[in-house]
Amino acid sequence: MRTFGPSEFAFLLAAVRWTLLLSLVAFCGGIAFGFLIALARVSRFFVLRGLAQAYIQVFQGTPVLIQLFIAYYGFAVLFDLRIEAWTAVSLAFTAYSAAFLGEIWRGAIQAIPRQQWESAECISLSYFAQLRYVILPQAFRISIPPTVGFLVQLVKATSVAAIIGFIELTRAGQLMTNVTFQPMIIYPIVAALYFVICWPLSQFSRLLERRFDASRGITQGL
Amino acid sequence: MRYVFQFGIVADRTDELVHGALSTLWLTACGALGGLALATLCVFLRTAGPRPVRWAVISYVEVIRNTPFLVQLFVLYFSLPALGIRLYADQAAILGLAISFGGYATEILRSGIEAVPRGQIEAARALGLRPFKIFRRIIVFQAFKIVYPALASQIVILLLGSSVVSAISATELTAITNSLQSQTFRAFEFYFVAAAIYLGLAFATKVLLASLYWLVFVRGREA
Amino acid sequence: MPVVALRKVSKKFGKHVVLDNVDLEVAKGEVVAIVGRSGSGKSTLLRCINGLEFIDSGEIAVNGRRVTRNLADLRRLHREVGIVFQSYNLFPHLTVERNVELGPTKGKGIPLGAARKLAHDALAAVHLTDKLNDYPARLSGGQQQRVAIARALAMEPVLLLFDEITSALDPQLTGEVVRVLEELAAQGRTMILVTHEMGFARRAASQIVFMHNSRIWEHGPPQQVLENPKNPEFQTFLSAILRN
Repeated sequence: MRTFGPSEFAFLLAAVRWTLLLSLVAFCGGIAFGFLIALARVSRFFVLRGLAQAYIQVFQGTPVLIQLFIAYYGFAVLFDLRIEAWTAVSLAFTAYSAAFLGEIWRGAIQAIPRQQWESAECISLSYFAQLRYVILPQAFRISIPPTVGFLVQLVKATSVAAIIGFIELTRAGQLMTNVTFQPMIIYPIVAALYFVICWPLSQFSRLLERRFDASRGITQGL
Repeated sequence: MRYVFQFGIVADRTDELVHGALSTLWLTACGALGGLALATLCVFLRTAGPRPVRWAVISYVEVIRNTPFLVQLFVLYFSLPALGIRLYADQAAILGLAISFGGYATEILRSGIEAVPRGQIEAARALGLRPFKIFRRIIVFQAFKIVYPALASQIVILLLGSSVVSAISATELTAITNSLQSQTFRAFEFYFVAAAIYLGLAFATKVLLASLYWLVFVRGREA
Repeated sequence: MPVVALRKVSKKFGKHVVLDNVDLEVAKGEVVAIVGRSGSGKSTLLRCINGLEFIDSGEIAVNGRRVTRNLADLRRLHREVGIVFQSYNLFPHLTVERNVELGPTKGKGIPLGAARKLAHDALAAVHLTDKLNDYPARLSGGQQQRVAIARALAMEPVLLLFDEITSALDPQLTGEVVRVLEELAAQGRTMILVTHEMGFARRAASQIVFMHNSRIWEHGPPQQVLENPKNPEFQTFLSAILRN
């Protein structure tokens, strides 16, 4: 049995890297796919709109943990493969992020007044030119505060990867506890580490919100 | 893909899944009501309390909103015993959910109170309405109406987030699904059905809360 | 061949009739002022001419070509017909120069150099060449509206539509915009304006059209129509306007 000391703390810090890496990968992937989903969601074609809406509702209406279980255990059984934890978590959290970011982008695009679309149309811009030069630049600005807010939600959500054994910060805490039998120190320290990552992001998001004078995003994930 | 779907096996265990779903609903209800009560208290303390109390509430809210629920749960279940408080898994689950929801709800309620139009409060004062009770009724009622959608969303988030309590083996749908799939090796079918059940529960909750809104704030006001 | 020809144009929004058998012809170089109360269908008429809205029956032809729902046709229509809106609708994230350049570059595919020249010429026509690098938010309402006019001019349209472009402006700012309108009219541009500016209509319009309850009740040259209004509704309308 070990006691919790600097080398144990170093182990936790090393695990923080995985939390951050997972969050970053999922965030970037989510931005890329979420963008496509948002475009589909506002498109003229009702099939695209329906598919995008269904995607968003499934990922926002089911627990992240279940999504993870399906990615890790479900697909492994389905395709008779051994899926690595990293593959499962990065795919699952990317898909999860894409849904939330897509919804944020959709809201931002729909917040642009109809007259902007009309004015762009009346100078003979094609649909994609209207999006690219008029609508999306404005939507992008609006979407920044809630996007930063979502990043906080994502970092917290990655803790759930511990349950399938992926070694990020929370799992490292569990492992440390098994070795040192000192959960009363370890878990609060783990919480503090998450706080150090998330709180500045939350404050930044609030600052951005104030600057854009928009009131959104008081609900957040667990 | 050589996998043969066998949803029939899932159907055989319907009773257990229903029990899981009901447990999830029970946890959600307890967490929401407990958290709401806690939040109401906290919002009051935050506005009317002495400075250290206000800071305590602000810290509580910030800690809850910037740490993962799973870690909060682990602190309640694994760390508290060091202080002599040993909770059963189900107790820790409800307490954790309530404390977590309370944090978010406090912030939501606070923004609702700030959003009550100043004019209403001044008008009430000017009319000389008997201060405490009736005055509170105007502010609280209005604030609640304003934040109801945000609270409703947060309750659905609570419902979905309750799946995490399976990590400490508390009784709810995900935990039960876990044990069922490990018994039958039908991981995909069981998790798929569990996802569908959660979707259904989330939808039903949204509908229920929306009807409640209509009953209390729309129909109830036609007086 | 008239620049715009409307024949028996009708349109409904649900059960509400917005345009009822409207006939109108606008020849090259004409300046047509459409007047009437709010809700008489004037704006809708304008929006149907440039394809922002679609009619239920009848025919609208611009430069001899019918206005259809076909996307390629509409894009061509937008190159031929410029429109300026009541609320200017400039693109807030672009400078004045970029606002005016966007149509020629991305709408017509004109290379940047030539497009920039078009933009500068258009801004010169509205007397705003000193505001090239400003953002719309820094400009007054009258200036923004003039930029909106420049944006339409830069497309080199054969027809200009103006939808109550002074209605949202403070009174002291309408003068600068009306002056630009008069200059454009004097240059021989074909213009259709929905307007309340009766002074401008009397001075510069070649035709005044009175719309009421989705129909045209009276039309003709200003001298004839304003001195001797025949339609009783129009007489009421005029006396109400002149009383102010």
